[in-house]
Amino acid sequence: MIRATDLRLTFGKGTPLENPALRGMSLTMAQGEFVTVIGSNGAGKSTFLNALAGEVLVDSGQIVVDNVDVTKLPTHKRAARVARVFQDPLAGTCEGLSIEENLALAIKRGQPRGLTSAVKKQYLGRFQESLSSLGLGLENRLTDKMGLLSGGQRQAVSLLMASLTPSSILLLDEHTAALDPKTAAFVLRLTTQIIEKQKLTALMVTHSMKQALEVGTRTVMLHQGKVAYDITGDERKGLEVKDLLALFEQQRGLEIDDDSLLLS
Amino acid sequence: MLSEIAFYGAVETGLIYGLVAFAIYISFRVLDFPDLTVDGSFPLGAAVAGVMIINGWNPWLATAGAIMAGMAAGAVTAILNVKLKILNLLASILTMLALYSINLRIMGRPNIALLNEETVLSPWYDLDLAYHQVPVLLFSIVAFVSLILLWRFMKSETGLAMRATGANARMARAQGIATGAMIILGVAVSNGLVGLAGALFAQSQGAADVTMGVGVIVVGLASLIGGEAVITPTTVWRALLACIVGAIIYRLAIAFALNADALGLKAQDLNLITAVLVTLAIVLPDARSSLVSKLTRKKA
Repeated sequence: MIRATDLRLTFGKGTPLENPALRGMSLTMAQGEFVTVIGSNGAGKSTFLNALAGEVLVDSGQIVVDNVDVTKLPTHKRAARVARVFQDPLAGTCEGLSIEENLALAIKRGQPRGLTSAVKKQYLGRFQESLSSLGLGLENRLTDKMGLLSGGQRQAVSLLMASLTPSSILLLDEHTAALDPKTAAFVLRLTTQIIEKQKLTALMVTHSMKQALEVGTRTVMLHQGKVAYDITGDERKGLEVKDLLALFEQQRGLEIDDDSLLLS
Repeated sequence: MLSEIAFYGAVETGLIYGLVAFAIYISFRVLDFPDLTVDGSFPLGAAVAGVMIINGWNPWLATAGAIMAGMAAGAVTAILNVKLKILNLLASILTMLALYSINLRIMGRPNIALLNEETVLSPWYDLDLAYHQVPVLLFSIVAFVSLILLWRFMKSETGLAMRATGANARMARAQGIATGAMIILGVAVSNGLVGLAGALFAQSQGAADVTMGVGVIVVGLASLIGGEAVITPTTVWRALLACIVGAIIYRLAIAFALNADALGLKAQDLNLITAVLVTLAIVLPDARSSLVSKLTRKKA
């Protein structure tokens, strides 16, 4: 179970650029839940994801992952529990290392690393098996440099790397946004397959309202650094993109109202 | 033409600078950490080994002491960067500067002579070899052992984590790698190698001098870049091999330049030649590839 309680975080405190990114963000996710997160620019989606990953530490509030308080832990100390796929396909892998070396890095995620050989023979069968599930023919290219792969291929491998060892939560940060539509659809299909097969708890930030409703088991809309709308189950099934759009506009309307109040 | 003694001398120094090139490969290439500590940790290794030897220590223990001193110096640079957030280049310059005073303190004077002392080379002179061949044999063994150890390390779980740290720190953290600790370890190992090189250099030259580190970073970098031009570093093994080959080629090039009477160069021109060779080593690979692309374009 993942529980984030009253997270608050302000960037550039005390400067003219002061920006409150999280303002009382709370979200509890049950084991096996697949949450999609939407929200306009600056709603705090990425900041929330980075706070869960440990890339930013919150000013106040608490993050508990499987009964362990990780609020103050840096990224690498959370890595055993938190897996992640980045938006940038180049960010999730090392292009100078081979495919098998990248996978070998991932297979030890969050575990101590010693002086024994990193790419062990007993791993290779597993690497090939999981790579062949992608259907990209990468299982025969284990020693190829990661940099030789296309963005879509690299993102697929990133996804594989994130699911190679068990995690309490899988964080997906708009991981299809930088891909062409066809590749994006492929990576998204792969995502849902892996999550369903391994019964993962996942949180996916997305810009696409269609994606937010079609994928996953629960949708959360963020606005001004906290949850504005949270739907799941039957209520979610009946929801369409235009309903979400209406919600969006409603929020934007509120903003405009606020501004006009300020200006008058 | 190069005399036999000058040739062996160049190879001998080349092997020592090969160790420096390994060090610079780790800092500049693996960790992407421009580390100038080298100019201080080279004489530090020489000073520590030298002082220990004249105080009656076993020369191998003295050399081990030099390695540890170098590692400590590297760790200081990395900690200044990782923990105190000082820019890596500046952190290394600060350590280098401090080491100048520390080296003077260690030796108690600007230089110490080791001419009649027992060094790591002494027992090897009993072998049936010419005097100038002995250091080449011993340093070849040291360079080869270092090469194998470094190669195994870079292929290990920790070594792979270190390579990931330099290549993509954000991804490394997400994989649970303590990137700060990796930088400290890597820069320490790097300067440990430089300490070793300094210790061997002092023992083969018969003296340790506080100024002997000036320009070591440039020579090491020249060896690395030159080696990469000859052996494309597509794998860790080739990259490490390139360090040694580059360092030997570099020293031979210097020796030829100084020996060619037609050029009229003298020993005092060494740093000028170094700067010219480094410039060539950096520019030539680019020039070559642009020439190749021009030629192939004409064909097409």
